[in-house]
Amino acid sequence: MGAHQTERSEIPQNNLAFISGSEKVHVVVLRSEDFVERNKVIEAILSLTSLRNSSQLLYLAAPRLLGASIDAAIFKPYGIGLLLFDERRIDEAVPPQLMQPPNLTQQTSQTPDPGLFTELVTLKSMYTEMERTIATLRDDLKTLRRNSETQTDTRAPTPSRIARHEPTFPASNLSGSQLPAFFSNNPWLDVLSKRGRLGDEPIAG
Amino acid sequence: MDFGTSDFKYGPITCGETPRIVNNRGYFPDKNSVVYKAFESTDEVIVGEDVPLYLQSAEDLSSRLVYPMRNGMIDKADDTAWQVVSALTNLGLNTFKPEPNNGFQGYYVVASLSSVSPRYMYERLLDLFKQNNANGNVKAITVIPQPFAVAIGHGVTTCVVIESGHGNSQICPISKYPIRAAQVVLNRGGGDANAITSEILKDTGYGDLANEEAFVRKVKENIGLVPADLDAALDEAKRSPRRFRAKYKVPGTRVEIDLEKDSWSRFLIGEYVFNPNHEVFESYFGRGMPRPRDVKMGDTTFRGMLDFGDAIVTSVERCPVELQPMLYREVLLSGGNFSWTVPERLEDIAVDAPTKIKSLLRQKGIKNVSVKMTKSPQFSVWHGCLIYGFAVPDDYEWDWQRLEGWMKLSG
Repeated sequence: MGAHQTERSEIPQNNLAFISGSEKVHVVVLRSEDFVERNKVIEAILSLTSLRNSSQLLYLAAPRLLGASIDAAIFKPYGIGLLLFDERRIDEAVPPQLMQPPNLTQQTSQTPDPGLFTELVTLKSMYTEMERTIATLRDDLKTLRRNSETQTDTRAPTPSRIARHEPTFPASNLSGSQLPAFFSNNPWLDVLSKRGRLGDEPIAG
Repeated sequence: MDFGTSDFKYGPITCGETPRIVNNRGYFPDKNSVVYKAFESTDEVIVGEDVPLYLQSAEDLSSRLVYPMRNGMIDKADDTAWQVVSALTNLGLNTFKPEPNNGFQGYYVVASLSSVSPRYMYERLLDLFKQNNANGNVKAITVIPQPFAVAIGHGVTTCVVIESGHGNSQICPISKYPIRAAQVVLNRGGGDANAITSEILKDTGYGDLANEEAFVRKVKENIGLVPADLDAALDEAKRSPRRFRAKYKVPGTRVEIDLEKDSWSRFLIGEYVFNPNHEVFESYFGRGMPRPRDVKMGDTTFRGMLDFGDAIVTSVERCPVELQPMLYREVLLSGGNFSWTVPERLEDIAVDAPTKIKSLLRQKGIKNVSVKMTKSPQFSVWHGCLIYGFAVPDDYEWDWQRLEGWMKLSG
């Protein structure tokens, strides 16, 4: 691509910056582990916006998991490119748009720039969308963990089976293959199944 | 659901051998903090896996982080602690939702509390379950004492269970039912072993580290030993200090403890847990270390200086005479305070917890004794809860005198 990397000291850790022809390209990298820390996600988005005046092309690089769970097109109207990566490859999901150099006359103006407000509103909506996505991902992860725990023990009975208690529960009818190992040969199954029956009374002590 | 002093273990039988575990604690966030607003949480108290996210912003953990059952009991008026228990109950009930249309009739929930829990704790906990059963997923609820659950989980119907935690130790005979009137409680636990370890560190020149609780606990776990006979162990260790040298380096730091010629004192740590009556401890009491005192909480007196041998004998002798030999034949030890190891080449002097208990009972003239650690010290209470919930008939109704049976919530 003919680009060369800028001085390492100029850019924060986890970010990449290149000069390609006359354009400066800046990439903010979001890693899988960053999803756990909400601040990291906010930080990534904010750092992208702060670079609008100093770089002409901006990218957010994120794990492919993000692309699968949000509509990547949300980045398009704001000119921010989206790179999705996994262990094998990196794809440009959304190409970036060239950022306009800052208008100095506007900068000196006392009246607030309506464009800036629009940008803030869109950034806020992007952030909200990201928050929602992360919350969904966390919930999905929790459900997956829960399901994998349940499914690894195929012997475990369904909740409806557990909830059933026959008054004359015969411990000898238990199928050992359906219950956790600590149930097998446990004499309490027989003792407890007789609770409330005649002759089953506690010792006064 | 097992409400332990440090951890809350919960989950239905479909979890298999291992329950879900979260710390038995709750965090009360500062509602004015930016982090609280950013997370948009509406919860008064945070429990479970999310607690660490809030801890990062905490300025005063001591007042906002609450461990409701540190000593096994909650005061009647301690609303903060009960709020945490309510939140944990909710977590336990809402984590596992039944699949729709599979014939589910409602969960039978078994909760386990410390055996020293007074009646008002049962009342309050059962009320919490009623309040938190808005979705009607719980059909019935019951509460059983932890030593009883340990015996069930271990599969022994006649035994003495000794559960030793951070603040106290409970000795509870079981014969198909917990024999509540024979229960003995000691006002001594892992925290007392920490206290004497701290004194030893002060005496050996490590006073600057002696107030760091987590560090002192690590030192206790790494250098503390239980002597078969304290006098013999002290003589031998003073004669051969190199053989018994107590040395511990904290991983990842430059901090190293080396007791050198005072390494004999490592035997005091283990002995103090089992028997604090040896004259050697008097010098520590004389210099300000608090002597474990008898304390009355509710209807129960927590004994301070009773050694474990006397405590077991006192408890067993409150039971019918014909039952006593059977109880001595199955003494079960449960809880982190019994996890003592014996280093190689010190087997002639140091012992594990079951051997020490056997030796203390032998001194009282009790010889035909079997003492064992529970098969699964961490989960035996939860295992016991599952077996109880599975086997007890549906028509065995809750009885406030027996403190057993099902309290029906729906259906």
